[in-house]
Amino acid sequence: MSETAEAGPSPEEPPVVTREPHQWLGAALITPSLLFIGLLFLLPMGMTVWMSFHNWPLLGEPRFIGLENFSELMGDRRFWSSIRFTALYTVLVTSAIFLVAFPLALLVDRPLRIAGFFRTIYFMPVVIGFGAAATLWTWLLNPDNGVFAELLLRSGLVDAAPRPTESFWPALIVVILMVVWKQAGFTMVILLTGLQSVPDDVTEAAKIDGAGPLARFVRVTLPLMRNSIILALVLNVTWSMLAFDQFFIITQGGPRNSTVTAVFSIYLQSFSSYRLGYGSAMSLVLLVILVAISAMQMAIVNFRKAPE
Amino acid sequence: MAGLVLQNLIKQYGTTRVVHGINLEIENEEFVVFVGPSGCGKSTTLRMIAGLEHISGGRIYIGDRVVNRVSPGKRDIAMVFQNYALYPHMSVGENLAFCLQQRGTPRAEIATKVAQAAETLDITSLLDRRPSQLSGGQRQRVAMGRAIVRNPEVFLFDEPLSNLDAKLRVQMRGEIKRLHRLIPTTTVYVTHDQTEAMTMADRVVVMNHGHIEQVGRPLELYEKPATTFVAGFIGSPPMNLLPGTLSGAGDDLGLTLENGTTVALRGKVRAGVEQARSANVVLGVRPEAVGIAAQGPQGVPVPVTLDEVEPLGIETLAYGSIGRTTLCARLAPDVALQAGAPADLFIDTDRAMLFDAETTRALT
Repeated sequence: MSETAEAGPSPEEPPVVTREPHQWLGAALITPSLLFIGLLFLLPMGMTVWMSFHNWPLLGEPRFIGLENFSELMGDRRFWSSIRFTALYTVLVTSAIFLVAFPLALLVDRPLRIAGFFRTIYFMPVVIGFGAAATLWTWLLNPDNGVFAELLLRSGLVDAAPRPTESFWPALIVVILMVVWKQAGFTMVILLTGLQSVPDDVTEAAKIDGAGPLARFVRVTLPLMRNSIILALVLNVTWSMLAFDQFFIITQGGPRNSTVTAVFSIYLQSFSSYRLGYGSAMSLVLLVILVAISAMQMAIVNFRKAPE
Repeated sequence: MAGLVLQNLIKQYGTTRVVHGINLEIENEEFVVFVGPSGCGKSTTLRMIAGLEHISGGRIYIGDRVVNRVSPGKRDIAMVFQNYALYPHMSVGENLAFCLQQRGTPRAEIATKVAQAAETLDITSLLDRRPSQLSGGQRQRVAMGRAIVRNPEVFLFDEPLSNLDAKLRVQMRGEIKRLHRLIPTTTVYVTHDQTEAMTMADRVVVMNHGHIEQVGRPLELYEKPATTFVAGFIGSPPMNLLPGTLSGAGDDLGLTLENGTTVALRGKVRAGVEQARSANVVLGVRPEAVGIAAQGPQGVPVPVTLDEVEPLGIETLAYGSIGRTTLCARLAPDVALQAGAPADLFIDTDRAMLFDAETTRALT
């Protein structure tokens, strides 16, 4: 098939071969991304590494101190307790989001016109910024003139307006409630795409095979939406490990610094105590922890390669 | 083992009725094929039998049991889907074992049954593979294995061969028939391919617009189609259907076709004339009952212009126009005919049929 009748090249002529696209074109096309990654990720990370080896006050001359920041960090009880608190928060909030998002996804995964309406409603809080949502909840939670206090008092459920941010568990719980309200819609959408990727005829085959609703869900639906579940899990864990705004605004780290997250403690060291070098060292440790968690999750993904 | 009875079966979506009260009795171990164009209600009917579709009216019996309100898993049926519908995350062996596990079959028994089914279908070497690692034909076989492993009362096939290429389709057709001989089980098979229907069925059910047009053995449908729809659907190429007007009586009895030619009606076809309610009828004639002068003419010549001549090796098909209708002739392979040239095609009315033009029903 090297020639056509109407083109009529002589049989000796070699067939025309289309050139591969120029390689520089590919390089040119990825340059913007490379620039972004370089300027906004690699450069700051290099800078952080550099700063972590220095005593680096906000004003004044930085001084090279080698690994001193890291050795101090190893014995810093406040930092490690913030890591522990962040881990606790991550486990609780991720579980809570899944517990809410999964039933929501199942509810809106129906061929009803109204399901589309509810899909939008449940997703709406996601588009609000974290800072704005946290501020909104601070108002709602205000014991003196907040909506929640008013509602609880009027319904007669409580005698005095609750002050959730004054003790540890209530403070943690209201933050988790706020984050679930704000983020569950996003996880719902990810899980919904997973649910919808399960072919109808496979579900029907399971029905004919005699599997009840629970067996179908556990043995067919869940394994087939595994990729969406893992994506939702990785995103939720990462975001929770980096939690800052919600605690900074709603609890301000209180009561008695019990709700200070890892990023919050980095912020405090860097911008309250002005120890930028020490803050950089903390950031690096948090980075290592996050990379380790992500690697673990990736390993689970690759443990059994997803079916096509 | 059990037969299957559909009693006045209705399917309705809102106010739109898609299956209009079907009645059918399928005997134990019979292989019945539902055939019809897309949207004729054949798949919907099958899905009602399977329990995947709510029954709007009527009854379905499997054996002596009314199954209208029985869940699919408890109807003791097995179904092979068009897209195979294998569980992609399970190995072939797990796919076969799944339904037995759901019924709480002991492990050792599952292993024996899976091994047996795999051997029957020659897929033993594939048991550890995932469906994604199989070819279309192999997947089809696994889907069949999943159906036979549980030894159901009724097999349901929903266009199982339509995703395979032509060669594989012929091969799998034979294999499904072989399987049915090996494990005689009541089978309902849905297809839009009349060749599949003709070659596989004990009985064929031709459906159109949610009605059954005709039920019968394959040759019965071919030789005595009950309606013009069946005549035009069964056979490849299908029966020629030539609208015309009856004229004359006795020996002069004839049919005037659209182009003005009058065809004298002789032989068996005359029997239908008495039943005709009006002079408007349709003459049905199979392509093999249409000839040319060179073959020793039988019947009545009809002058046409040849639109197309298709030499197929084993035979030659010639197509001519009579008014707006096409007349197809099935001829010997060596005839010398040229497209575009005028020719006389001879209609053997002794082998033809008449249909009422209004009701489309056969008049014999």
